[in-house]
Amino acid sequence: MTHLDTELNELKVNIIEMWNLVISQMNKGEEALRTFDRDLAREVVETEKRVNMFDLKIDKDCENIFALFQPVATDLRLILTSLKINNNLERIGDIAASIAEFTLKADRDFNKDILDRTKIFEMYAIAREMLSDTLEAFDKEDTRLARTMFNRDSQLDDLDSRALDVLTQSIAADLDQVRNNLLVMSMVHKLERVGDQTKNIAEEIIFYFEAKVLKHKKRKEKLK
Amino acid sequence: MSKIETKDVHLHYKDFHALKGVSMAMEPNTVTALIGPSGCGKSTYLRLFNRMNDLIEGVRIEGEVLIDGQNIYKIKKQNIDHLRRNVGMVFQKPNPFPKSIFENIAYGLRVNGITDRDFIEAKVEQSLQQAALWDEVKDKLKKSAFELSGGQQQRLCIARALAIEPSILLMDEPASALDPISTGKIEDLIFELKKDFTIIIVTHNMQQAGRVSDYTAFFYLGNLIEFDTTKKIFTTPAIQETENYISGRFG
Amino acid sequence: MKFPEKSDRKKRLTQSFMFWIARLISYSIVAILFIILFFIIRQGIDVISWEFLTTAPRDGMTKGGIFPAIVGTFYLVIGSMLFAVPIGVMAGIYVHEYAKSGPVKRFIRIMTDNLAGVPSIIFGLFGMSLFVNQMNFGTSILAGSLTLGLLALPIVIRTTEEALIAVPDQYRHASLALGGTKWYTIRKVVLPIAMPNILTGLILAVGRVSGETAPILFTVAAYFLPKLPSGVFDQCMALPYHLYVISTSGTQIEASRPMAYGTALVLIVIVLIVNLFAAGLRNYLGKKVKMN
Repeated sequence: MTHLDTELNELKVNIIEMWNLVISQMNKGEEALRTFDRDLAREVVETEKRVNMFDLKIDKDCENIFALFQPVATDLRLILTSLKINNNLERIGDIAASIAEFTLKADRDFNKDILDRTKIFEMYAIAREMLSDTLEAFDKEDTRLARTMFNRDSQLDDLDSRALDVLTQSIAADLDQVRNNLLVMSMVHKLERVGDQTKNIAEEIIFYFEAKVLKHKKRKEKLK
Repeated sequence: MSKIETKDVHLHYKDFHALKGVSMAMEPNTVTALIGPSGCGKSTYLRLFNRMNDLIEGVRIEGEVLIDGQNIYKIKKQNIDHLRRNVGMVFQKPNPFPKSIFENIAYGLRVNGITDRDFIEAKVEQSLQQAALWDEVKDKLKKSAFELSGGQQQRLCIARALAIEPSILLMDEPASALDPISTGKIEDLIFELKKDFTIIIVTHNMQQAGRVSDYTAFFYLGNLIEFDTTKKIFTTPAIQETENYISGRFG
Repeated sequence: MKFPEKSDRKKRLTQSFMFWIARLISYSIVAILFIILFFIIRQGIDVISWEFLTTAPRDGMTKGGIFPAIVGTFYLVIGSMLFAVPIGVMAGIYVHEYAKSGPVKRFIRIMTDNLAGVPSIIFGLFGMSLFVNQMNFGTSILAGSLTLGLLALPIVIRTTEEALIAVPDQYRHASLALGGTKWYTIRKVVLPIAMPNILTGLILAVGRVSGETAPILFTVAAYFLPKLPSGVFDQCMALPYHLYVISTSGTQIEASRPMAYGTALVLIVIVLIVNLFAAGLRNYLGKKVKMN
């Protein structure tokens, strides 16, 4: 293994570690919401610092590799991709933490019925799977798996707009729950954003392995 | 204690002040790159450590040059040979002896008075393995070293230096006469070798310094301008001259 | 882009004219050598026989052979080389490898060059006064060898030095950097590489020595000595001196003329063989050094 390979490998290991940390943040956030566990929610908010440290480290590593090795071709694309994946993961980490913060801001337990009808846990499940599947796509160079993200992202978009209807109704119906319902709406929006970020990661992965630029293309073209 | 340390070293070559008070220290099992424009003193500095500067007439050296804490300019003259066995050197141009591949590596052992044939054979193989050349030459050890390509010759010279088990390896632009593929091989080799050796490498190729070294020292007009980790030097150098040099905006 | 057509013609003609002149001159040098050879061979080939090569001269040197002269030349060459080679090679090594550049080294070099320029008759006189008279060797193979050795010394020193200069410093540095001492480096690396050139120089010195007349004139050469020398304090005959004698001061110069040409032919063939041998040896060793 060449020196550069060693460095790139280390970079990849760091990214995958960060990825797993972000997934665990999402899981803990969901758990905190489901069980209304304020301590767990606080833990998620605290752990966000670790995600940020990963972000700084990976940025620095990429900078060093650029400066010291002048990577080209695949190596260059890996670093560009890493920088962007890092960026997106950091955002997702932020999102996981904000959802936990929303959980903490609730003035009473969330209404189980509302949570079920907005299908927020279904959104969580989809977002989580998207995250772990993109990770797998990155690790195993599986661009087909990466391509499934575009569909799943639109599922999240649909669920987001439906949740708006559900919450509009219930806010009108139950004035006691307005604060919590607004918080749920914010969470749903955040989860929808996770879909967008993950989709961006999928685009970067396809760019890395196939050297094709997919950004800003229509959906049909992306899927072929 | 650092592996290598210089304290306020001045070197005069007749009227020319080639090194102007250079102080720095190198840790064991690291690669330190010496960079700077031609005539900046980096090669002269490198040659301090095996006293190859002594071969030039009219050289005067002041200050301390310590290896493992011992001032190598205070040792007895007849011990310079011992010093050079501990401090291997690889030169700019591959310079195998006009002998067979085997004899080239055995030479250093014979210099040391080793005559045990089995030991020499084992050592030749081990050194060639270390220099990542064994697979390419194992069937033609009796052939002339001149039949090898330039890159192979340079790895042979590295193997020759390794055979006598130095703890320090000095490299004076070891890849400047080689094509990019051979250069890459030498660079990978340096990365491997630092597990066992403390390496100092002079290079005109900034990218090479970035690729192979842990620390970089920038020399200019006989002064050590900046010495830091290679990462620091190549991303956020502290001194403007360093920045200008590594970014190609020099002079 | 336009190419001028006429103005270049003159340049081209001058160029090819000069080229042809140079070629003609170099060919004519070869031609002269062949003419000399041809002349000597034609004049001398008739007397060459087994008897000529293996017996002593008879009948006022108009009959018989030149065997004692061949053997004498052989002894003198060996003797002079035994003296000149060790001293000359060591001196060459000292001057190039050890002496610091400075007035001393320059002085040695100037002196060596001057020694090479001294006319050979002066060597002869010096040899006679030092070896024959002062040191009491008498006119003998020893005195002659030493005198010829002195003559060869600057050639040997100079060629050794040149051969050492031709050894690139990178080999010395490689050996020194491996912890080799200076002497070990010279012995194991520098001399083997320089050896083909040194040997060539030595053999050319042999050619020179075997053809010299003046230095042996007063120190060793016998006018006529049918029996072979039995020790280093004996006199001996030598080819160049024999040639000189039979063509200038014999009793029957005309009658011994064919013998003179025969001697010249033998001498020139010996020198040629020595030179060809030098060239062959250099090629062979040059390859061998690379191979090892």
